[in-house]
Amino acid sequence: MDKKLLDILVCPVTKGPLIYDKPNGELISLSAHLAYPIRDGIPVMLEDEARRLSDEEYQAWRKKHPANGETGS
Amino acid sequence: MTEKTHFGYREVPREEKSRLVGSVFDSVAARYDLMNDAMSLGIHRIWKRVALEYTGLRRGGQALDLASGTGDLAARMARIVGDTGLVVLSDINASMLSIGREKLDEQGIFNNVEYSLANAEDLPFESNRFDCVTIGFGLRNVTDKARALGEMARVVKPGGRVVILEFSKPTNPLVERVYDAYSFSALPVMGKLLANDADSYRYLAESIRMHPDQETLERMMLDNSFDHVDVHNLTFGVVAIHVGFRF
Repeated sequence: MDKKLLDILVCPVTKGPLIYDKPNGELISLSAHLAYPIRDGIPVMLEDEARRLSDEEYQAWRKKHPANGETGS
Repeated sequence: MTEKTHFGYREVPREEKSRLVGSVFDSVAARYDLMNDAMSLGIHRIWKRVALEYTGLRRGGQALDLASGTGDLAARMARIVGDTGLVVLSDINASMLSIGREKLDEQGIFNNVEYSLANAEDLPFESNRFDCVTIGFGLRNVTDKARALGEMARVVKPGGRVVILEFSKPTNPLVERVYDAYSFSALPVMGKLLANDADSYRYLAESIRMHPDQETLERMMLDNSFDHVDVHNLTFGVVAIHVGFRF
């Protein structure tokens, strides 16, 4: 996925920042506890298509990105 | 009781509408361009060209094209903004967006375009981001139009423009009668012949009649964060361009 696009994308639900999980091809929204899939290089920014993060996943990401907007600011 | 909304002339539960619209566009995606040419007698190309003149886009600008579909508006905007600019194509329907991407790839447009699946009611973009947001023949398929208008106003920069190109209400009663006859008898037949899909094209004709007229849409825009709206009728109001400004 292109950096130009990553720079302007936010979570459609909370408008909070996203983390690019390159190995798994997902965009993680910690503020919404959701992972958005990337299919054929196109991010699928639809709540219905997103995967809910498990508590363990959430905690692991949170540890790596402590400052990643909880409230979507 | 579940809240209802329109799907063409039918009343359907609100949460059903996007699924139904989705199946219409999955069904018409492959022949969308051909059908647009046939149904509008090629005039849709002129309507789109006129709409682009209202975008105010220049070299280096950044634009978001919603309900981008097969990418007609986006391809032209990509040429206007050039290599230093950016056009983001967004659609809720993966079938439509992948046809758009193929078409732009074939035209050699890939350096300054990006793609994202998104719902116009919940845009995944930063606020105050784009010089221009366009939506061509897409708004009438959106379930919650007020909310989508608010989102468009949010992501456009102050001083930027939102350009909405959509079927509207003919301003002349004679034109309206001819147009009604055309769209309810000729369109479904053409849909059947060219795409073997009369139902989808009947939906298109019905959805056009259910869409808010010029004044109603202008009012909705002013009620949803726009500071000023200009309305331009094309082809006797068969199509209208609403240009929304934020100051």
